[in-house]
Amino acid sequence: MALRPWTTATRCLRRQRVLPCNAARTTHTAPNSNLESSIESPEDWHLMQENRARFKTLFDLFNQHGSTQTREKTFQPHHTLSRPLAPSQTTLSALVAAGAHFGHTTSLMNPNFLPYSFGTRAGLTIIDLEQTLPLLRRAASLVRAVAQRNGTIIFVGTRPDLQDTIQRASERLGPQGYHIGERWLPGTLTNRNQLFQEESHQYRLTPDLVVFLNPLANMNAIRECAIQHVPTIGIIDSNADPRIVMYPIPANDDSPRTAQIIAGVLSVAGREGVVARGEDQKTYQHQAHRILIKQALTGEGNS
Amino acid sequence: MATIGLRAFEMFASRLSCRPPRIHAFTLRSLTTGTTATPPPLNSRFVPPASLETMDEVELEGDQVDFDVSSRPHRPRPENRRPVPPSPAFYTARSLYYDTLVQLQAALSLSRRALRVQHLLPLPPFALRALPPAQPAWANKAEMSLILQAPLTARMYKRVVTLLKELEQCERIARIADSTELEDAITDITKGFESKKGIQARDTRIRAREAKEKGPLDKYGRSYTVGRRKTSTARVWMIEVQKPKDDASVPAANTKSILSSSSATTPPPPTSTVLINSVPISDYFPLPADREHVVRPLKLAGLLGAFNIFALVRGGGTSGQSGAIALAVAKGCVAHVPEVEPILKKAKLLRRDPRMVERKKTGLAKARKRYTWVKR
Repeated sequence: MALRPWTTATRCLRRQRVLPCNAARTTHTAPNSNLESSIESPEDWHLMQENRARFKTLFDLFNQHGSTQTREKTFQPHHTLSRPLAPSQTTLSALVAAGAHFGHTTSLMNPNFLPYSFGTRAGLTIIDLEQTLPLLRRAASLVRAVAQRNGTIIFVGTRPDLQDTIQRASERLGPQGYHIGERWLPGTLTNRNQLFQEESHQYRLTPDLVVFLNPLANMNAIRECAIQHVPTIGIIDSNADPRIVMYPIPANDDSPRTAQIIAGVLSVAGREGVVARGEDQKTYQHQAHRILIKQALTGEGNS
Repeated sequence: MATIGLRAFEMFASRLSCRPPRIHAFTLRSLTTGTTATPPPLNSRFVPPASLETMDEVELEGDQVDFDVSSRPHRPRPENRRPVPPSPAFYTARSLYYDTLVQLQAALSLSRRALRVQHLLPLPPFALRALPPAQPAWANKAEMSLILQAPLTARMYKRVVTLLKELEQCERIARIADSTELEDAITDITKGFESKKGIQARDTRIRAREAKEKGPLDKYGRSYTVGRRKTSTARVWMIEVQKPKDDASVPAANTKSILSSSSATTPPPPTSTVLINSVPISDYFPLPADREHVVRPLKLAGLLGAFNIFALVRGGGTSGQSGAIALAVAKGCVAHVPEVEPILKKAKLLRRDPRMVERKKTGLAKARKRYTWVKR
């Protein structure tokens, strides 16, 4: 240990030369392109654009000959949102990677959650993902069945980090998917005539399924669904009572990645249901058409 | 309006060889019909329904007396026969607002992708700074609430305006780079959020900026300033006194040393005219105190006799009018000679005196005067 340790510290720091970061540098700009900082005329601008285009073509050309582990094939953090897993593809390791097994502090554990907890570690309740996975698949098949029977499904996620998730999840179900991202207005189901005046007589307002990504913040909504006999699915954390929703999915509700995986799985299952319904309709119409033709033929044969 | 803009935008973006985007659920809704009635089996004879509740309203031919749909009596249809709500954000009770947010976000990412394809993004920071300034004409919160059919809080309004500003920046980049298709596509979307008031406000801002750039003096070299005091308002035009153009005039440097100049060659002291309501100042303000008020800013600035002053003053009494003219004259001096501003500021001559006549209050004889206190 040196007599004056702060001098050694400053000497170490002095040795590391901080490289100037080029804010304008992207994957499509060459490493030493100083041109970008010295553009003064439109000709310089066009030159810069040409250079970028040229570098990009070179990059794309040589990309095909390099490693097979490219950006497209590697996991990127946005894939949980943009490339959701199907129910059959969801694995324990995907859930663990998303941190779905982290519950809250042991002192906050709801006693009714005990069957779903694996144990404790570092003062946290660890959620048993081997129970989560079949419950998730059960919820997914429920969503698929509801969607197949033309049911409407609402995705509720009232935190800022859940907005993208619920929007994409509802998009996947087409006209049958809805989302609530800011606040569940009290009385949405129980006071609909006042909240939605003309629409309460025009449209079918009772949803057939509601999915809660953060149920503890939406207890009013859960209560309304119970009053109106609407089945509910919810991500249940260790501080929540699993009995508040009909189909609990024990997982970490504070993790956005876990919510993305779960909402993704459910919406993919819903999409499968919608597609199956479309195919059923097609086969039904096809059969009806064939019956019509047969009738016409037998009618002609008889007469 | 926004839906149409976004559909056209998606087609345009796909033409730019971007990955064709997903059709938003909003547009999907227009394609699907709400009813999912199954076709009746073909072999059956007519079977009357079990209850009239499940039947749709039957209209007999002779009954069409009133053509107004809303006034006909409605038999309530059971809920499972009705169509589903059209918008994915229906249950928020602010569907148009949330759908608009989603569409604007989608339009923003599409336009950014289109700019990146043309290598216009990411712009180096100096180019971003060199872009022409934004001149927004967005509707205010009340008007936006009408456009989006939802009562908007300040946070909700800010979200919409932030997205519109980002879109407008993409539009400016496209305009600079002569990418007219993209520019027009973005304009189609953003013009739905502008309002007449916003456009007027923008024009006012532009005019104010241009007036500021032009300078405080008009084409004849006159300054026009306004001053107020108590209930008087003074409008003052000041113009520099024309110096005589003969060559025999002594240069100004000569006045510095008292010893060198002789009385024969000193120029006469500059004289200027001060007219108030077309009347000379000595006639309009008989009291020397009022005249002193008017002339004090010129004295402190050392500009006595440098300007001809023409004032129109209205309202109030003598001291109010003289104070108003004094303020306007001080502002005019600053307009002509900006270096004089710190001097006049220090002397508090550029400050509009906020003192006004205080109102009389109930229970008091005047503004502050109380009635005589009586013990019993």
